[in-house]
Amino acid sequence: VRCQHYPPLRALQASAVLRRVSDEHKKEPLTSSSQQHFDSPPAGHQPEQEPQGPHPSYTGQGGQESEDYESEEQLQHRILTAALEFVPEHGWTAEAIAEGAKTLGLSVAAAGMFHSDGSELILHFVSECNAKLSKLLEKEQKLVQLGEAEKKPIDAFLRDAVEARLRMLIPYIEKWPQALSVLLLPRNIPSSLNLLTSMIDDILHYAGDQSTDFNWYTRRAVLTGIYNTTELVMMQDSSPDFEDTWRFLKNRVADAMTMSNTASQVQSTGEAVVQGLMGAAVTVSSAETSRAVR
Amino acid sequence: AAARLCRGRCRALLARPAGALRALRGLAAGPEMHFGFQTVTEEERREKIYQVFESVAKKYDVMNDSMTLGIHRVWKDILVHKMNPSPGTLLLDVAGGTGDIAFRFINYVCSVRERQLQRKLKHHQNLSWQEIFESYQKDKFNSLGDSQVVVCDINREMLKVGKQKAQHLGYTEGLSWVLGNAEELPFDDDMFDVYTIAFGIRNVTRIDLALQEAYRVLKPGGRFLCLEFSHVSNPVLSKLYDLYSFQVIPVLGEVIAGDWKSYQYLVESIRRFPPQEELKAMIEDAGFFKVDYENLNFGIVAIHSGFKL
Repeated sequence: VRCQHYPPLRALQASAVLRRVSDEHKKEPLTSSSQQHFDSPPAGHQPEQEPQGPHPSYTGQGGQESEDYESEEQLQHRILTAALEFVPEHGWTAEAIAEGAKTLGLSVAAAGMFHSDGSELILHFVSECNAKLSKLLEKEQKLVQLGEAEKKPIDAFLRDAVEARLRMLIPYIEKWPQALSVLLLPRNIPSSLNLLTSMIDDILHYAGDQSTDFNWYTRRAVLTGIYNTTELVMMQDSSPDFEDTWRFLKNRVADAMTMSNTASQVQSTGEAVVQGLMGAAVTVSSAETSRAVR
Repeated sequence: AAARLCRGRCRALLARPAGALRALRGLAAGPEMHFGFQTVTEEERREKIYQVFESVAKKYDVMNDSMTLGIHRVWKDILVHKMNPSPGTLLLDVAGGTGDIAFRFINYVCSVRERQLQRKLKHHQNLSWQEIFESYQKDKFNSLGDSQVVVCDINREMLKVGKQKAQHLGYTEGLSWVLGNAEELPFDDDMFDVYTIAFGIRNVTRIDLALQEAYRVLKPGGRFLCLEFSHVSNPVLSKLYDLYSFQVIPVLGEVIAGDWKSYQYLVESIRRFPPQEELKAMIEDAGFFKVDYENLNFGIVAIHSGFKL
């Protein structure tokens, strides 16, 4: 059904699927179709060779071939993206990946490129969500800079950012506990931790966090804690549109704000107390001195 | 990558003049090849290998068990687990003679299918009896989930033994037995999901042709899997392995199968076979991507895997 009109040029021992796909890339942005698709594209087409979305473009083979062919990583990204729609039915498994590969016109055996426990699918999904969140926050920031929107107070900003990110889980919420457990496998912890910290960094960056002192770590730790606990609450939440979860989130963010206010209050109170003590000590010593003088 | 393409093309170029000369001379000697530690022509090699397997066919499984102390079963299990086939997969097992891989594939697919059906039933807790009956009927006749395996072998005797085994073990559906040459498969392009060749590629005279044929018959996205004896890099183990191979195996061959020479050939052909990295390069030359290998038992056996992308 798909790509029937792209016969592989076997004489060149070229890839059968990768090249076809790069031709699809070329076809989409162009309105005037050129029949030269099998030969190297003219220089003007190269800007359109950028892969869709924020994926870095890896050069799979030699430098020459990266112009004409998509790399294996890009094909894997496409398979994983296609597999996501089968996750609600099959879970985060090799079966979902096999179904995804089928929709791209590939054999089900292509799922063998990935680990059989679906780790890559989950990590791919998480990084896609993080990228979407980044774009969303960037858009909002632009609106604020252009003066078309109000700058939110920090607690509302954090609340909205975490809510937006967690809402992306809703279509897959039933199978998400399984995904969380896979992300905690020792093999996956470096990658999943990396993704989590970079997301938190992103949120705090757009929140306008300029701190360079110890607060940088504290803030991240606190926000990570808020995110993780809210995620877990969401797993068990059965209220309509997850109202309970958002209320929980609001309370946690409020707690964090209070905590930081309290911390600074404690600090200023502490300073005030110390000053008071110093004043009292001075008064007492001068009273002593004056008594001694008299 | 450009260098790899060049090498592949060069190999093809070198082969062509030899073939042309052969055609001119009519009969006569083709290029020199190895048969174990002997040097023979291409035709002679094909003949000899055919005779080897013709004579060992009946005792093939027994000998496998005694030579490898039954470990070959584990190797084949690992191969099928690595394949992780889902129901609906079409497998081509080349040089699959006595059907070991084919039977394991069918078992695996059946158990995956059963689990699938169980999961479906769990979801359908609220159906009426009529609906349950209908879905059970529909699925009962589909215990394999449309999976199929085609066993292809060049040797009639090996296929005969395989068919008898299938009957004996009760495998009735999903199996086909085809007589064919790995260098020239009697199948159309883009047909199969997975192509396996277990302990067979060593006996193919022109490995590059077999790899090209494998590429041709696989669907886009299809997987190539090769299970074969390979090279042991650990020197201590290598010595022990050599000792066992050359002293024990031919003797076992004589005692159990009454055929010293065939098993001498077997052991020698293992030594002559290219090592892991070289085979990986050959597979890449044929056009496969994501080619990788996994050593089993320190390199006594290796599984090479590649995808047609």
